[in-house]
Amino acid sequence: MQITFWGVRGSYPVPGAATVRYGGQTSCVEARTASGEHVIVDAGTGLRALGNKLASEAGGAPGNHHVLLSHVHWDHIQGLPFFSPAYIPGTQISVYALLTAANELDQVIGGITRHEFFPMPLEAVPAQFQFQKVEPGLDFHIGAFHVTPIALNHPFGSVGYRFDADGVAWAYVSDTAPFDRVLHKQHFLAGPEPLSDGDRSTLAAMRAALVERLRGVDTAVYDTHFTAEEYARFPHYGHSTPDQALDVCLEAGVRRLVLYHHAPSHGDDQMDQLAADYANQGSERGIEVLTAFEGLTVTIGVAT
Amino acid sequence: VKLRFWGVRGSFAMAGRDFLRYGGNTTSIELLNANGQRLLIDLGTGATELAKQLMQGEFGKGKGSLPILLSHTHLDHLQGLPFFTPFFIKGNHIKILGADPISGLSLEATLQNQLSPHYSPLNGLENLAAGVTIASFAPGGSLEVPGFEVTTAAVPHGNMWTTAFRIAADGKIVTFLSDVEYPEVDEPLPQALALAHGADLVIHDAMHSDQDYGLRRGWGHSPARAGVVVAERAAARRLALFHHSPDATDAMIDDVVARTAATTTVAVFAAAEGSYLEV
Repeated sequence: MQITFWGVRGSYPVPGAATVRYGGQTSCVEARTASGEHVIVDAGTGLRALGNKLASEAGGAPGNHHVLLSHVHWDHIQGLPFFSPAYIPGTQISVYALLTAANELDQVIGGITRHEFFPMPLEAVPAQFQFQKVEPGLDFHIGAFHVTPIALNHPFGSVGYRFDADGVAWAYVSDTAPFDRVLHKQHFLAGPEPLSDGDRSTLAAMRAALVERLRGVDTAVYDTHFTAEEYARFPHYGHSTPDQALDVCLEAGVRRLVLYHHAPSHGDDQMDQLAADYANQGSERGIEVLTAFEGLTVTIGVAT
Repeated sequence: VKLRFWGVRGSFAMAGRDFLRYGGNTTSIELLNANGQRLLIDLGTGATELAKQLMQGEFGKGKGSLPILLSHTHLDHLQGLPFFTPFFIKGNHIKILGADPISGLSLEATLQNQLSPHYSPLNGLENLAAGVTIASFAPGGSLEVPGFEVTTAAVPHGNMWTTAFRIAADGKIVTFLSDVEYPEVDEPLPQALALAHGADLVIHDAMHSDQDYGLRRGWGHSPARAGVVVAERAAARRLALFHHSPDATDAMIDDVVARTAATTTVAVFAAAEGSYLEV
């Protein structure tokens, strides 16, 4: 199994000279088995280029695509209206998402293309869309992929995924805050709120379940949006730091951590520094640490 | 009056080496008059870059005031809104002026949808710390904006309408005509010509090259030639080709500019991110 990064940025796309090497498009990862089956995780702006590649490979023939969403914040769905296979009649697109603030996923996804926002409504798009509800605790299969949803800690809810296929496993853990200071619920946070005992045990259980599901995983792609200093200023924004990701991955015995969902303000030079720092720290602590960039392909289960 | 393009791209923000000279951010334009008064057009991703600059000054201290004109509510003109940091500072006053969409939803309800809890952790305009006013207007009249005289008109944009602006400041005229497609390229609508009449600078939709336009007629955008016809008929001085296609690399835009400039005596250039230009 291989995974390829089509968008590695968090929050919003960042064009410009400072992002040419790591990439400026938002969250989107493609996973492919040895036999060529594929799933797409998150539909940020990176999805446009992936869609163009898939459409061109198919030579205009309709395909069958599975798009698993961690959550439906703009930076994880904004590529959907620009996914060119959607405009090929006969194409099937299954969208998987956690239901939290929304009652109906089709309304949330359809809402992206409301008349005010986009020229073509979802109903008019030639592809057939199917919407699948995801619940942590309920595993499911997509072809050769065994998928395990994992509850994460993010405003209004988020879900990670473990993918087992070809006898190997990788996990997508984004977006998530760490599991100590803030428990994200279904309301706006102007700042961290005091934790109740119940909140603390909810967080502890969430972290324990994450660690449990990461056991035996070769590669974990993890939300490391913030530096430690940025996290200290914005602990209620729902994102983690590389140190927090390292702790979780080391505890779970993950072989390789991929830093992901880079803050829009982190330019290439800063990313180089961060990548070098954590590659070193990883080798000292017995874990390979890579930093995701657009176009990076990682083979799961094989040392690089 | 000075003007800076913070975002010139249409539809989709494009990152990468092929888009560095003209820029990959979606629509956002800043105007600054001689008294230091500021006006912003549209909140595409380019607005996030302007936000960083604004936060170094008054807006970082909660003492900033900014009018923002919205041409329409397609996402490439709004996607910078949740990340426009002056909204997060108490004391700033930001007024968003735009037409209500024709769907029947108000402008305010549309922006609320953008910030609804599934799409954004901001969970609504009411959670923006700054004082935010949403002012809907009916296009066809003028707007009260300190330091700028703004005249508006509705122009067709595919299955909807967008607002075009004629902005007078410091004795100069800037006309904004983006996301527009006329029924016939060679017959610009009278309201577009009226807004562009004698303008010092016309910023015009040039999403398509003249060659590609045949395949994309009816999508709501213009070929480069449409801006030339407007500028010539309206006796405008300069024409900025704007709202570049996400597929247009720097080299392709260079080519469009060269081909377009060869057809007219109007000074033509392609809008690019980067620096202030004197109108």
